[in-house]
Amino acid sequence: MTVFKLPDLGEGLSEAEIVRWHVKVGDHVALDAPMLSVETAKAVVEVPSPISGTIVALHAQPGERIETGAPLIEFAPDPGADSGADAGTVVGQMPGALVEDAAGAALEAANAVTRPRVRAVPAARALARSLGVELGSLTGTGRGGLITLDDVMAIGLPARGASSKMHPAPAPAAPRPPAASPAAPAGAAAGGPADVEQLRSLRRAMAQSMALSRDSVMACSVFDDADLHRWRGGADYSTRVLRAIAAGARAEPGLNAWYDADSQSRTLFEHVNVGIAVDTADGLLVPVIRQVDQLDAAQLRVELDRLKLAARERTLKSEELRHFSFMLSNFGMMAGRYATPVVVPPAVAILGTGSVRQDAVALDGKVQVHARMPLSLTFDHRVVTGAEAVRFLGAVIADLERPE
Amino acid sequence: MAKVTMVEAINMAHAWEMAHDPSVVVLGEDVGANGGVFRATVGLQQRFGAARVQDTPLAEGLIAGAAIGLAAQGIKPVAEIQFMGFIYPAIDQIASHMARLRNRTRGRLSCPLVLRMPHGGGIHAPEHHSESLEAVLCHHAGLRVVCPSSPARAYGLLLASIRNPDPVIFLEPVRLYRFIRQEIEDDGQALPIDSCFVLREGADLTIATWGAMTVECLKAAEQLAGEGISCEIIDVASLAPIDFDTILDSVVKTGRLLIVHEAARTCGLGAEIAATVTEQALYDLLAPIRRVTGYDTVMPLYRLEYDYIPSLARIVDGVRATLAE
Amino acid sequence: MSTLAARFEIPYRACLDNDGNLIGPLPQFAQDGALLQRIYRTMMCARTFDAKAVNLQRTGKLGTYPSCLGHEATHVGVGAAMRPEDVLFTVYREIGTKFWRGVDLHSVLLYWGGDERGTLYPSAPQDFPFCVPIGSQMPQAAGAAFAMQIRGEQRCTLVFVGDGGTSQGAFYEAINFAGAKALPLVCVIVNNGWAISVPVRQQTAAQTLAQKAIAAGVPALQIDGNDVLIVREAVGEALARARSGGGPTVIEALTYRLADHTTSDDAARYRDGAQVEAAWAREPIARFRKFLYARGLWDEAAEQALKREHGEQIEAAVRQYLATPKQSTDAMFDFLYAELPPGLYAQREQARRYAAPRA
Repeated sequence: MTVFKLPDLGEGLSEAEIVRWHVKVGDHVALDAPMLSVETAKAVVEVPSPISGTIVALHAQPGERIETGAPLIEFAPDPGADSGADAGTVVGQMPGALVEDAAGAALEAANAVTRPRVRAVPAARALARSLGVELGSLTGTGRGGLITLDDVMAIGLPARGASSKMHPAPAPAAPRPPAASPAAPAGAAAGGPADVEQLRSLRRAMAQSMALSRDSVMACSVFDDADLHRWRGGADYSTRVLRAIAAGARAEPGLNAWYDADSQSRTLFEHVNVGIAVDTADGLLVPVIRQVDQLDAAQLRVELDRLKLAARERTLKSEELRHFSFMLSNFGMMAGRYATPVVVPPAVAILGTGSVRQDAVALDGKVQVHARMPLSLTFDHRVVTGAEAVRFLGAVIADLERPE
Repeated sequence: MAKVTMVEAINMAHAWEMAHDPSVVVLGEDVGANGGVFRATVGLQQRFGAARVQDTPLAEGLIAGAAIGLAAQGIKPVAEIQFMGFIYPAIDQIASHMARLRNRTRGRLSCPLVLRMPHGGGIHAPEHHSESLEAVLCHHAGLRVVCPSSPARAYGLLLASIRNPDPVIFLEPVRLYRFIRQEIEDDGQALPIDSCFVLREGADLTIATWGAMTVECLKAAEQLAGEGISCEIIDVASLAPIDFDTILDSVVKTGRLLIVHEAARTCGLGAEIAATVTEQALYDLLAPIRRVTGYDTVMPLYRLEYDYIPSLARIVDGVRATLAE
Repeated sequence: MSTLAARFEIPYRACLDNDGNLIGPLPQFAQDGALLQRIYRTMMCARTFDAKAVNLQRTGKLGTYPSCLGHEATHVGVGAAMRPEDVLFTVYREIGTKFWRGVDLHSVLLYWGGDERGTLYPSAPQDFPFCVPIGSQMPQAAGAAFAMQIRGEQRCTLVFVGDGGTSQGAFYEAINFAGAKALPLVCVIVNNGWAISVPVRQQTAAQTLAQKAIAAGVPALQIDGNDVLIVREAVGEALARARSGGGPTVIEALTYRLADHTTSDDAARYRDGAQVEAAWAREPIARFRKFLYARGLWDEAAEQALKREHGEQIEAAVRQYLATPKQSTDAMFDFLYAELPPGLYAQREQARRYAAPRA
């Protein structure tokens, strides 16, 4: 049986009225023989038979209106005749008629869930998302309470887009690119005139970043000591520690990395950008030494001194506070042997150095007195394994124990 | 109240205004005895006489240019271009004169007129019969460009267009001409021009659209509502100048904007809307603005036209992608 | 003082009357009986195909289609006058000319079936496709003729335009240019009486459409467009003159649109049935058939054989058309540029992803 449906007989005609049938049930009709007259909104047209066959049913009476696409007539096709099935039908109906009256559907009762809207610079919004920071928890300092990139930065977290080349690790089924993508925010990329940052409420920022760390990082710490007995000449603890961190990262890149929990992806960095915790009267600042792995001891020292001075004088540029891939806290400058320093996401590890002291060391069956540096490594166990952490720490120690 | 299609509503608006304003004259190709190829002007010549409903020679430049002259002389022409794809010979008249007569003469001369034309595709029409060229017109200061999306809005906006003191290009989505019937009071009530219409309120995302795409967007909103996604649908309706206040208010409320139009993407009106919203409401955005549009291709012949015209699936995915940001 | 500045005349020419009797000398080409038979066969092919195309539209298998019913003599006569290396610009109804130039039935179905592959024309690789925006083909045709002139070729361009098309500015622009440059361009105005619903007398106050050429300084004449002998003869003469550097000609062929404008039209709304009835008495095929019968070039057996042959040809073309799968979405992009600019790759990809169901 072949059902012939009313085609669109003009251009965009939705219906037609049957004027008269030229055939009746039981009639045999030849292909292209006149079958019926219909009146559309535009014309009265003759519809010929689409096939040769016998008419089995007529689905509408004269005077009746039927819609484009509705069954019009049913045939028993002649044996061997092309069934006229709609395989090649290319014109007919517009897809999907709207049942509802469009204006009736208009102004459907408001599904009025009004949420407090936080206005934020897009880059700030993106950064906050990558860090898991609720924008609502911040107070915007921009015009009209707008949350700026610096407002997010000021909670003490690194921002994105280090100048170093990054090598994203294979992302485990990441639905979208890691939030910590290499795209640099404008402020970070700008090598232009210094925009000297007025830091605000460092303590508030610290509170927020620590809370964030507590809420997201699975912190695990490991402790050891580096024997400095073989050091020669004047000891520059800070530069040696920075170099040792670079050595650690070479041995185990998994700690010189970012982790984006949202996309479950991590980014491994080619270079080591170490954020150094600096104590200031107002609170903690974390200026960043870039590409520690590329600098020699003298260069490291110069850069370290410059940053510390800038931190104390509040002349750090905002980009100097961004993009660390690893963090160092040399709390031992004052006191303290071991600690459990806090990992600040998206970084995954932090090394703490305690105060160097003379220890009684067992060596070849004898007790000797050596200078030793206590080391405390905290890592994010969500993304760093214990083995990776101790491999890193072992490399740090090995480098620190070299004579120079 | 009669339940009428959009093309009937357009006919009603013509008739109302011709009955109430003797200066209104209809002209175009086949608008007389034939009543227009879509029957938008059917019966008008019989009712109002051959002097007020005139077939012109087959020349679009002539139709647009003559309308300017008529209008400057105090006749109120409502002229038809048979299909939007045929507007190009008229562009010289529209851009060089219609849009700027008032400005050129510091207000001494003006040309209040309406140039109507079918807009868009979706009816399996031949080559050059399915174009969406609103951006070509919106680029010319001094013109109004209006595009209704329902019989009621066609009626009210056409009346407003005829009564407007400036030239109005009135785009009629062919796919909607006979798509639905709606009850309309034939009371001569105009709808506001230069104004958007909020067709559906929502909280999660704003869809700005116009013409035949409003129907697809309403369908998308209905489908997404089942998933708990609440879309606000704005029928931009007046494409030049655009009522940005309504769009901006909505975007500030929802934080997300999807623009849907049938016309090609590049330099389409969606780009203008996106740019303005970016300038004025960037900090309220929760996600980048997205566009779902025709491709940057020639409008294909009809077997591929539904591959070109934004589909329900593309709109729904556009909403989802914007919400996933 | 007052004197005559210029005087112009528009000749009218015909060979056959409505009954197929010669009313003038037999043109030279008509000595070739095989050629006359080929002309007749092509006219019949156009008419039979045309009826089938309308039925395909009425049964939902073809898009809007503009019938050529009644135009066969003008269309086929022009084709028969042209040389293969000439270039043809048509409006959208001239399938008889296309068929003569080797365009197959399947291509015509594809085009009106909404598929651009219907414009491939392997047998007429330089011919332009159907031109829908009225009159816009005219300047392009003048340009093509200009190229032939610049290269000193013995080729011509033939352009069709309708009666409505002569109201467009582009018509005047093109014939003016052709006259000014003496281009090898022959323009055939197919005056079928109607621009959709607008009759010629409302289109223009000009007594003839041919006389519009006089303003451009182009020789012009009017012919009986339902008389294929005079069409072939007059167009042949114009082409020969153009080929030899004699410049353009405008020929107004008088015919009648026996069908609706297109399948989307209903001519009963605006024209008198009696007029159509009268026009049937002038239609081109019956009189030419009588002429051929009288000269012993055609008979009933040949007629029946031709009907069978065309029936089979058309059936095969329809089957091929209906079995032609829709193009992939890439087809929207593949021919925009010589090579797709990389900036469009993403859209092409998106179109693939969201392709409508194949049909």
